[in-house]
Amino acid sequence: MNRHYDEDLKHLREGLTAMAGQVEWMLDLTLRSLLERRDDLADRVSALDASVDEQELKLDKSCIDLLALGAPVARDLRLVASALKIIPEIERIGDHCCNIARRAKLLNPQPLVLPAEAMERLGRDTRDMVRQAVDAFVRGDAALARAVIAADDQVDTLYMDIYRDLLRRMLGDPLCIERASHLILVAKNWERIADQATNIAEEVLFILEGRNVKHPHLQDPP
Amino acid sequence: MKKLDLRPRLSARIMDGAMKVALWAVALGFIAALLVVMGAILKQGWPVLNWGFLSKMPETLDAGGGVRPQLFNSIYLVALSLAGSLPIGIGAGIYMAEYAKEGRLTGFFRLCVETLSATPSIVLALFGLMVFVQALDWSFSIRSGACALAMLNIPILTRVTELSLRGVPQEMKEASYGLGATKLQTILRVLLPAAAPGLLTGTVLAAGRAFGESAVLVFTAGTNTSMTYPDFSLKAPGETLAVHLWYVVSDGTLPDAREIAAGTAAVMVLVLLVMNIVVRLLDRRLKRHAR
Amino acid sequence: MPDSILIEPVMEAPLHPTDRARLRAENLRVAYGPKEVLKGVSLDIPANQVTAIIGPSGCGKSTFLKCFNRIHELSGPAKVTGRIELDGRDLMAMREVELRRRVGMVFQKPNPFPKSIYDNVAFGPRLFGVRGRSDLDGAVEDGLRKAALWDEVKDRLADSAQGLSGGQQQRLCIARALAVQPEVLLMDEPCSALDPIATARIEELLFDLKRELTIVIVTHNMQQAARASDRTAFLWLGELVEEGPTETIFTNPGKPMTEDYITGRFG
Repeated sequence: MNRHYDEDLKHLREGLTAMAGQVEWMLDLTLRSLLERRDDLADRVSALDASVDEQELKLDKSCIDLLALGAPVARDLRLVASALKIIPEIERIGDHCCNIARRAKLLNPQPLVLPAEAMERLGRDTRDMVRQAVDAFVRGDAALARAVIAADDQVDTLYMDIYRDLLRRMLGDPLCIERASHLILVAKNWERIADQATNIAEEVLFILEGRNVKHPHLQDPP
Repeated sequence: MKKLDLRPRLSARIMDGAMKVALWAVALGFIAALLVVMGAILKQGWPVLNWGFLSKMPETLDAGGGVRPQLFNSIYLVALSLAGSLPIGIGAGIYMAEYAKEGRLTGFFRLCVETLSATPSIVLALFGLMVFVQALDWSFSIRSGACALAMLNIPILTRVTELSLRGVPQEMKEASYGLGATKLQTILRVLLPAAAPGLLTGTVLAAGRAFGESAVLVFTAGTNTSMTYPDFSLKAPGETLAVHLWYVVSDGTLPDAREIAAGTAAVMVLVLLVMNIVVRLLDRRLKRHAR
Repeated sequence: MPDSILIEPVMEAPLHPTDRARLRAENLRVAYGPKEVLKGVSLDIPANQVTAIIGPSGCGKSTFLKCFNRIHELSGPAKVTGRIELDGRDLMAMREVELRRRVGMVFQKPNPFPKSIYDNVAFGPRLFGVRGRSDLDGAVEDGLRKAALWDEVKDRLADSAQGLSGGQQQRLCIARALAVQPEVLLMDEPCSALDPIATARIEELLFDLKRELTIVIVTHNMQQAARASDRTAFLWLGELVEEGPTETIFTNPGKPMTEDYITGRFG
């Protein structure tokens, strides 16, 4: 195979890693804007998102070009096919960050509804899942990818706890309903991001092992 | 990397052109030589050539003889010798190309065939004299001549057949065997038809050589002709045109020996010309599917 | 929404649905003199499927293919050990004429005989004594139709086969092979001399033919193996490295060597 094709595959990997890295940074900023109640960080999140969208377009094109010109098979094919699915996941994570940052700006001037710790834990765990999923991709670490998938249940539990807590508070104090419903949506956004990290981890496992691990109940045992 | 000077060289172009001119010149030279020879023969023979020359019996002492029996004998002998040598020659060629396993015996056989095809015809003539004329006591006759000519033809035909069969692409053979053909079916239905143009050329060469052969026939078919015409008897003496030409010139008892010789030569050239044209037409038919 | 969209597509079932192997090689070894070309290959070739054999030049894939109708015997005296079966029968013990009628072959270079189109296709049936005009006409038309060539040549059956284009010549060779009604068709890189359009037509043909035939195709072209075959076997230096369903070989091969070969990073 020509060197060109190998170069293109390498560029795809690098581009994907760079895009993921930027989103990891956005996750950090989002979390801090929420915890430190800083509007300036929230603004930076929105600014970064435009560049993520640009990278999405570029990487999409690289994938299609690789398919059309390189006709990849086996591991290469799995990489390109999975990249096509990972790219929109990462882009969606960026969008969720923007949503959270926008609500952070609404909430920042107002009194706290919830002790900061609960939301902090949800945010950190979710951010760590994304980081690990990306690390699993970069390092080709199947065990790490499996750990990400396993961690999703924990995040779901955290989210449900926060949701129930907020419902209770809204019942107790109707004045906090607006703020609390914003917070529910923020928590929901974190939870979605964790789902996306799980999806990425599943794609990483497909790239590494050639086996689709989604919806295990629909699949024949290997 | 050093930048090489890769402009087209003038010297190469000159050589190319010079070679082309030289090859053209050689080809034209051949055609010219052929035309001169043909022209000389036909020019001298033309005045003699008439129906009388072709239809009269030869004279031994007087002028004005014809070559009727010699023309007949030439064609008859060539036909007879081919009838004998074609099956044997082609058969041997098929054996060599398709059946013989490469080995010392086959190599020896091939050496024999090649030696035989290069044997000087005077040697073959003496062999014919010893075997057919004397040992078998067939005297100077058509049958002695035909057998000796066949000896001349067989090695040529064997060689040509072997080469033509080997020239058939291996893919044809694979295709035939691949469809379930036996060896014989493959040879008869694929190899021989595909080799036919080559075989035809070889046969014409052999026939032409036999037609023009004199030495072999002087000692086997003799220098006399039958008194009856046409005499298909194998025991009849069988002087041919080529032998007649030689005999008339070297004996010198005929007052018009020069004219007779010129006429005989012209007849031979014309017969060969007709033969080649007919074969050309046949060849074109054979190659119709091999375009 | 039109109703037809709700109707499930009907899958075309093979004429003889069967799982058993039509061809089988068991520890097949082939040597020409001191050179061992195949070093113990075992492979089952299932009926009514297209099996592709891939591998680098000189890996023995062509020899392997040719063993199935013993046309390899033309390339010189070969020492064959192990077992090759056609429908469970020892193929080395069969009469080659019968074997080659049942197991047809299409070669790398189109090799029509220097005869008319008609005579090319009728060649096989005639070998087996078919003489009747209507029988021969039928066999010729049938062969040409199955090879998807009939419409292109029906008005010029008496023309020379060598006047056809390369792709047409190759389909003529397929028609010629089909005219003796074989059960298996072996194809040795049948498209290597053809342009992409002619290649696509032959690949399409494989799809139709496998309903009646078992097809084994040797190819250098990975994409062709991926497009046209149901199963793929990878040979390397006379040994079978891996074999399996084509989609598995091309998405998730089991052996690193297979992966390297199909992704072009071999050696």
